Amino acid sequence: MTIKRRDFLGSVAAGSAIVTMPGFLSGCGVQTATAISSNTPENPFMDWFGVDQGTVARVMSELTARGADTADLYFQHSRSNSLTLEDGIVSSANSGIEQGVGLRVVIGEQTGYAFTEDLTLPSMLAAARTASAIATGSQTVAPQSFNPLATGDLYTTTVPWADVGVDQKLPVMKYIEATAKTKDTAIEKVAVYWGDADERVMIATLDGKLVTDHRPMARVTVVVTAKKGEETQTGYSNIAAREEFSWFSEARLEKMIDEAVDRTMIQFEAIRPPAGEMPVILASGASGILLHEAIGHGMEADFNRKGTSIYSDMIGKKVAEPFVTVVDQADIPRERGALNYDDEGNKAGRTVMVENGVLKSYLHDQISAKQYGISPTGSGRRESYQYSPMPRMSCTFMEDGPHTKDEIVAAVDHGIICETYTNGQVQIGAGDYTFYVKNGWLVENGKVTAPIKDVNIIGNGPESLKRITMVANDARLDTGGWTCGKNGQSVPVSQGIPTVLVSKMTVGGENAS
Amino acid sequence: MPADLTSKAQQAVELAKGAGAAEASASITQSRDVTFEYRDGALEKVKDTKSQGLGIRIYADGRYSSHQTTDLSASRLKSFIAEAVAITKALEPDEFRRITPAELFANQPGDDLDLVDASIAALNRDRRLQWCEAIDAVATDHERVISATAGVYDGSSQSASVSSNGFSGSSESTYCWYGSNITLRDQGDKRASDGYYVGGQHVADLPDAANVAATGLERALSRLNSEKGPTVKTTMLVDSRVAGSLIRRLLGPANARRVQQGQSYWADLVGEQAFSDKLTIIDNPLIKRGFGSRHFDSEGISAKVIPIVENGVVKNLYVDTYYGRKADMQPTTGSASNRVIGTGEKSLQELMADVGDGVYVTSWLGGNADNTTGDFSLGIRGHMIENGEIGRPVGEMNVTGNLRDLFSRLDATGNDVYPYSSTLSPSLVFSDVDFSGA
Repeated sequence: MTIKRRDFLGSVAAGSAIVTMPGFLSGCGVQTATAISSNTPENPFMDWFGVDQGTVARVMSELTARGADTADLYFQHSRSNSLTLEDGIVSSANSGIEQGVGLRVVIGEQTGYAFTEDLTLPSMLAAARTASAIATGSQTVAPQSFNPLATGDLYTTTVPWADVGVDQKLPVMKYIEATAKTKDTAIEKVAVYWGDADERVMIATLDGKLVTDHRPMARVTVVVTAKKGEETQTGYSNIAAREEFSWFSEARLEKMIDEAVDRTMIQFEAIRPPAGEMPVILASGASGILLHEAIGHGMEADFNRKGTSIYSDMIGKKVAEPFVTVVDQADIPRERGALNYDDEGNKAGRTVMVENGVLKSYLHDQISAKQYGISPTGSGRRESYQYSPMPRMSCTFMEDGPHTKDEIVAAVDHGIICETYTNGQVQIGAGDYTFYVKNGWLVENGKVTAPIKDVNIIGNGPESLKRITMVANDARLDTGGWTCGKNGQSVPVSQGIPTVLVSKMTVGGENAS
Repeated sequence: MPADLTSKAQQAVELAKGAGAAEASASITQSRDVTFEYRDGALEKVKDTKSQGLGIRIYADGRYSSHQTTDLSASRLKSFIAEAVAITKALEPDEFRRITPAELFANQPGDDLDLVDASIAALNRDRRLQWCEAIDAVATDHERVISATAGVYDGSSQSASVSSNGFSGSSESTYCWYGSNITLRDQGDKRASDGYYVGGQHVADLPDAANVAATGLERALSRLNSEKGPTVKTTMLVDSRVAGSLIRRLLGPANARRVQQGQSYWADLVGEQAFSDKLTIIDNPLIKRGFGSRHFDSEGISAKVIPIVENGVVKNLYVDTYYGRKADMQPTTGSASNRVIGTGEKSLQELMADVGDGVYVTSWLGGNADNTTGDFSLGIRGHMIENGEIGRPVGEMNVTGNLRDLFSRLDATGNDVYPYSSTLSPSLVFSDVDFSGA
């Protein structure tokens, strides 16, 4: 734990946030969980956690004994499983259980937080007293019982990951490896990383709501290493979603394999582009990383209520051309970033951040929503019971625009196309953001010419928004396994975009004079 | 406390053997962590937590897996470990997956690493609040301050590990960090922001909180009126505070796993003069009060000093037992402890004077490197160096190249080691670096 904090403080600059593709070995996943033991429609999750209405009410009462504007108990049980195929065999597995309850008290902008992994009443009461110490007032009236809200249906599964054994996953991994190896004789090694997870959360709130959510997650990554002469290149692709086993069809896997092989082999021909400012075309899909970094983080309302974001004074202002509309939307079925309810128990939905070029709404949690006098946007998320929630993105994308991809390429004299990415980061206050381009192309005189690789792109959020001069009609969400990090907390996200042209950005390259 | 943890770890190993494991190793950890955050004159967040966890590695029928859980209730633990053994047996056999050989446990050092400050357990709300208030008073003392957050983070952790083939070890450490993030009103809608934190195992090692806040404010003020720098090939001076990050990127694929998987530009470098003779990197786990200090690594291998690079010549890689067997390399350790970077004679100011004209990098922003080829491209902020002195603040720039090539052009190292990290690096000077900007 301390390592994590040290790393965070030591390596991440103030007010910054990052998004990354997963580290290959930090997969999520499951195994044989025991079945839920009760069919009582109101409280299967209560049974799961071994608590009842009375216990939860007792803990809530203790939690709010010194006053509270809002308070919640966040019960979580996650079972994850990962498998590794290297050198032709699946010879390593990892499984994990994370279980605990996080207890939070909020008064104004003040938060008291504690958690315990021991779900017995004395332990939960002790944690409640610790969290309540932030407050100095008198007992808030706490509910005696909690009203279960309807469960969401964005990612219902017919077969939970708990019922899918290693014996079923192993042939799929073998298939991926064998198929990849047939794609090119230069391929020396293929590695496959499998991750799946079942997460159950139950949130009891001071206003008497009881929200439950079963959140599945699956992700498969294939890594290809090829050698030509003395030169070695590595590339990868992955797919991730809140899905079940049957989602991994041959066609879906084949597409992923082809992407990984193509990304690897093209690097033997790829060059570094020239250094400096130039027009940048962002290919549809994963280029949504632009939105995540250039505007998404800066629109998270915790930064804005503190006045620390470059967007803090821009609501209602024109920030982009009228054909630019940027949305954060959690209720997209089965996407990696999808959520039925956020981690404060609010219904997660659609927030239009930029509408026809005008800055419309921040992403709010309860603290910021109260301060701004509006309803929360269902954007309060946390990594686990160990953390208090804050405003986060879910699935962030740009709507279709009036142009076509071909028109955009034809409009560029000397620039680049960015196609695949590994990670990005932003400085919230200054608005400077970056993303790392793994694969792309040079564009010369309106034509795609040489492949490029390994360049960082840097820009300034509001300036880049103004410089989006063309937006095509081919918007799509990326299916890659993106993870967003902020203040030491990681959450799964999705991103997407149509093909767009940013008229000027700074491209990391070589041969600076 | 570790005695109790040791017996719990021992029980987990016995449960695994009882469930059919041939060998097993287990670690139990517990920790307490306290966060105080204070913003603009009021306490904003107090987080006080105790956590526990078990990690276990299982070897059964020539197969291997690892597992972890935070649910240590006796009944659940038994079924968890039984399931873990069952998962292991469903995998494919691998002759290289074997428990760490007992001879690597031998000669576990007994050095007193001095990683525990008993006074940290006794820290109370008032003391933490005093630090917050002292930091806040200084951090907000400027007309341009929009917001400043003071943070105090402290805690302790204990762990014990045992294996079925005779390993036993325990560790305990404390930590305390404090500092602030400060945001200033800059031109237009822009905010200049930066921060500064210090930390250590011992409270007595920390500089005065007000001074830490003053450094944070100074750093934030230095960001005001930052502009995009030029596209230019010039000398790069990397500040010691962020040099460690660059060293860790360099070392990213310097391990047996990456080499065996064909994903490392370090593959054929052992014994070679691969880098500038100014580069020395020693992995030293036995530094008193070191952030990465330890008596044994995560596999139980006894800690020892391991030279990685000496005067530019590669001496060793990070080699764990599994990938070491696969790649036919002798195990060193699979994970870094304290990475100690060789120092030079000069201060930061003297290095800057020698550089004359160039770019002084004070923070990174994003970017990445390809482990297979060493190609990298990183976003930066910093200052121009003009006539040997610190010049205008610049940002929105990238630095691009190849890590091996870059470190072959390491021209000088300073004497100004940044102490608050397990990577103990001075400032570094590289010639002929490609910057992209305006």
